[in-house]
Amino acid sequence: MQPLLPSTPTSGGSRRPTVRAWVLLAPMLAWLLFFAVLPLGILAAYSFCQRDDIGRIVFSFSAANYARVLDPGYLRILGRSLAYAGATTAICLVMGYPAAFFIARRDARLRGRLLLLVMIPFWTSFLIRTYAWVQILKGHGLLNAFLESARLISSPVEWLYTPTAVIIGLVYSFLPFMILPIYASAEKLDRDLLEAAADLGAGPLRVFSRVAIPLTWPGIAAGIVLVFVPATGMFAVTDLLGGAQVPLIGNVIQNQFLQARNWPFGAALGVVFTVLFALSYALVQRTPRWERSAPP
Amino acid sequence: MARSWRIAAAVLLASVAGGASAAGDEVNLFAWSEYVPQGVLDGFTAETGVRVNYETFSSGEEMMAKLLSGGSSYDVVQPPDYIAEALIQAGLLQELDFRRIPHLGNILPEFLHLPDDPMQKFTVPYMTGTVGIVVNTEAVREPIRGYRDLFQPRHKGRIVVLNDNREMITWALYTLGIPPNDLTAENIARAKPILADWLKLVRVFDSDSPKTSLLNGDVDLGIVWSGEAAILYRENPKFRYVLPAEGAHRFVDVLAIPARAEHVAAAHRFIDYVLRPEVSKKISDAFPYTNPNGAARRLLSAEQLANPASYPASSPRDTFRSAGKASELIDEVVTDLKNGR
Repeated sequence: MQPLLPSTPTSGGSRRPTVRAWVLLAPMLAWLLFFAVLPLGILAAYSFCQRDDIGRIVFSFSAANYARVLDPGYLRILGRSLAYAGATTAICLVMGYPAAFFIARRDARLRGRLLLLVMIPFWTSFLIRTYAWVQILKGHGLLNAFLESARLISSPVEWLYTPTAVIIGLVYSFLPFMILPIYASAEKLDRDLLEAAADLGAGPLRVFSRVAIPLTWPGIAAGIVLVFVPATGMFAVTDLLGGAQVPLIGNVIQNQFLQARNWPFGAALGVVFTVLFALSYALVQRTPRWERSAPP
Repeated sequence: MARSWRIAAAVLLASVAGGASAAGDEVNLFAWSEYVPQGVLDGFTAETGVRVNYETFSSGEEMMAKLLSGGSSYDVVQPPDYIAEALIQAGLLQELDFRRIPHLGNILPEFLHLPDDPMQKFTVPYMTGTVGIVVNTEAVREPIRGYRDLFQPRHKGRIVVLNDNREMITWALYTLGIPPNDLTAENIARAKPILADWLKLVRVFDSDSPKTSLLNGDVDLGIVWSGEAAILYRENPKFRYVLPAEGAHRFVDVLAIPARAEHVAAAHRFIDYVLRPEVSKKISDAFPYTNPNGAARRLLSAEQLANPASYPASSPRDTFRSAGKASELIDEVVTDLKNGR
């Protein structure tokens, strides 16, 4: 099994953490406690509370918020969000894998430059880049002007405020998060192994599916999680490029905290969401088939 | 008031940078995005030495949520009337010391003693406006008089509306002849099927900058804040503003001081500064809403006063009242309708 995070060497068997190890870990543990455990605890506690008339938290126990999460309407929103995120992840994977593999196979200098190109968009605020997409996709925007001048279309296509625009925006935003971890795995991939497989009679497809993919799986898995999780919760892209036409789960949660002022219900949605991702993370972490069948 | 994401990002940076100042020489302003010109803040600082930290929100509900969370300390807040009413009822605003706000006299009487603050003890009007229909008259030839004319199947995919649940319900209520503050479960249920038909026709929901999709030509009709409509008219008079025949409401955004404000003296100075005619005029220049400041209106150009979105021939008198528990139901209904599109 290849965990997403580097595992600690366990070859020592019974070796126990020393005082020094705890000291070194302390900042990380404190960070996790204050910025992950504590907020999640507050969220979980709020999710069982109620709200008063103007939206303040009332500390009286109730499971009503969870009952409401299971309302078919909200489940449909969740399903739609997962579909958008799934499509985004799949497209990012198909586009990102070859790109990452290609970059990893270049020599060191070119590699650095290509990686820089992947990261340059991060120098500009995400929202400003999304506004740029409004200019590209709008009715009389760059994309339609290009397609018309190339005579591929005769009249402007409606790109903006459609599901297509949302997917384009999501893929654009998250593609680097797919490329970078796969690159990290692909860079370490020993070229000799690919050649050896070919020498032993495997065709290119077989080399790819039986050697390249298993060996870069940690990068693929990390990329999937890094894209899928934030894509599901994203609300700004849906608002700006999708025209806020259909609600996604991120919009609904944001609405509960800022518009409806129903923090307990928003918290319940957040908790369900977090649990779902913990489960999906565990799923991705599971030993892939090809490794389980391999001899120990 | 064109509620914008970009500004929020910039302000976040500014507020981080501004965290280190000594107490007493600053005022923390919590206001709508794109509603207070930077020039006004700079002018106040130049004159008084008091620095202004401007943090923004993009809806009255959001403003209230953040004030209730108690995470930050604000000295001046800028709620819309119905949110101010809820804040006053909850004891979250403090009474103003009007001896320190002598320029209140500039405000026209029709904008004082409104239902949200009948004794005029807690608030001072900042800007006012209406919510109405914008028509691109080059693209839409037929007359659009109200919500019914706007939400016709032939206009499908050509409409932008405010992404504001209470607003949407209100339009449907007006069409049924129900006053906007009769937010009973029964009335909301009656509004729901009407809204269900309407929302299917909408292409864009945007409260931050509904003018953008109209200017880009992606839609031809909209229900927007009057200030946005005024900017559109200023850009191109083909954008006509119509107060819907079925009924329209006006909003009054006010300035107030939270009960827990730390810089009360500076807050009063800021509020009085904003009420000066020449300062208030600067606000109208940048954001052409309806200025409730009579002395400032006298400084406006004929062109500004002739903008029908800023100064309509007859202004509606309805204002929103605090929605109370109904806001939860409204959110549920609108989410449900958008979900079913």
